Amino acid sequence: MSAPINFTFNGSTYSGEVGQSIAAALISQDQRVLRTTRFDEAPRSIFCGIGICFDCVVVVNGIANQRSCLVEITEGAVIVSKQ
Amino acid sequence: MILVIGGGPAGLAAAVAIARNGQEVTILDSAPRAGGQYWRHRTRVDGYKSEKSAMYLQEVAQNPLIHFISGANVWSASRVKDRFAINYLVSGNELTITAQKLILATGAFDRSLPFAGWELPGVMTPGAAQSLLKGHGVLAGRRVIVAGTGPFLLPVATGIAAAGGTVVGLYEAQSPLRWALSPVALLLNPSKFAELLYYAKQVRKYRIRIQFGKGVTAFDTHSAVVSRLSSDLEVVAGSEEKIECDVVAVGWGFTPDVTLGGILGCAQKVDLDGTVIFNVDQNQRSSQKDIWIAGEATGIGGSDLALVEGEIAGLDCVGIGISPSLAFRKIRKTLFARALQKSYPVGNGWKKWSRNTTKICRCEEVSLQDIADSVTDLGAFDSRTAKLFTRAGMGLCQGRICSRNVSEIVAGLQGCQVSDNERIGYSNRPIATPISLGELSDGKSTK
Repeated sequence: MSAPINFTFNGSTYSGEVGQSIAAALISQDQRVLRTTRFDEAPRSIFCGIGICFDCVVVVNGIANQRSCLVEITEGAVIVSKQ
Repeated sequence: MILVIGGGPAGLAAAVAIARNGQEVTILDSAPRAGGQYWRHRTRVDGYKSEKSAMYLQEVAQNPLIHFISGANVWSASRVKDRFAINYLVSGNELTITAQKLILATGAFDRSLPFAGWELPGVMTPGAAQSLLKGHGVLAGRRVIVAGTGPFLLPVATGIAAAGGTVVGLYEAQSPLRWALSPVALLLNPSKFAELLYYAKQVRKYRIRIQFGKGVTAFDTHSAVVSRLSSDLEVVAGSEEKIECDVVAVGWGFTPDVTLGGILGCAQKVDLDGTVIFNVDQNQRSSQKDIWIAGEATGIGGSDLALVEGEIAGLDCVGIGISPSLAFRKIRKTLFARALQKSYPVGNGWKKWSRNTTKICRCEEVSLQDIADSVTDLGAFDSRTAKLFTRAGMGLCQGRICSRNVSEIVAGLQGCQVSDNERIGYSNRPIATPISLGELSDGKSTK
């Protein structure tokens, strides 16, 4: 296996394998909540897992509304739930 | 040039048929690797009859006539004279490809029904659990309930167990005896018995407890409520049982993705199970010249039917006649697809699984109460007006998850049926993949 990829999510450091999605890497490290909703601030996680539902959207390196079930982790990526 | 959109079983079968007849073909797919949802993999496909997928994936990788463009999110398509212009995004960059002939194999996604707590982290579709495992090597949870209806629950549950997860229970809402309604389809598809036997062995090997006539009707972070259900999905009073788990993977069949063909004007119809599908002829030709459609978008039927339809579309596209044996195979597989619909129906009982506060539209956080109020207080007379009042279905997913459910709820409140026109209406949207306004205006990512 190649070296693990390190990234941050809401300020904490996580790691994952090459080719893993952000959501998969976080869930594998027990970080299931990916964001809170606009109105109720209710926690949300992965739901459809294939890019249809947009429930798992996060901000990746400053770009909003990125589907964490599709976007793969990259070394040093800065990921946050909200801008 | 021939362009195939979608790299699942149907799209791959079409491309292989085209290339084997000496013509060049390009496949556009949104995933990083070929295979679609069903043959999703990291290094190799595993599971039942995985050698079949290996053959297609190898040919796509090695045949110089097949070009595979991965990571391509198609967001619009138009016909310009005798050509098609397809706009797609790869990592935020907008690109356009032109083609003379199009084969659409856009597949389907899990159908979800709302229930109390379905918005909470821990609830996901079986497709999500499968994608985490097959695509990313991650278990959805430690103690997982797999529930809903349909044969797809079997590979999901056995896959989780094989990877070391605990499948607390597999709850299939319908009775297996419903297959008795379709004796001809079963007799014409003897290979399905072998597949059933394969899964029966897996279920025994991993000691998965399958229970029929039950489903998850509520979830609360560390436990799910499992209830006995009638065939119409009504909860049998007093049957509710609390079961500890950290994840529920629940799905109710599939919804075909018809957006792209809809944008191109391909005629659609409502299938027996209420899903909106394309009208195609026996050679997979759509109502639009030079557009063929294959796979789940012409009716949910599984990978076997998708492979046959893809091959037929590919052959017809390059002017090769369809052999009687291939045509008969399609009939056999289509009969089996009908049998699936009869065996795993989704009745209306789910409408009572939600609380008033349950969000029916997950994106815009529209509750059951909000929808009910729009009908009773604001006078919404169909789902379109209810959606305008409440913003249900107007979020980022463009109503893909909730629009059918909102329509069924509104129709239920008014005591009527959802019309075919309304079904076709809510299944279509003007942009195939949500993109940012920046991308729409300047063709570049909004960095």
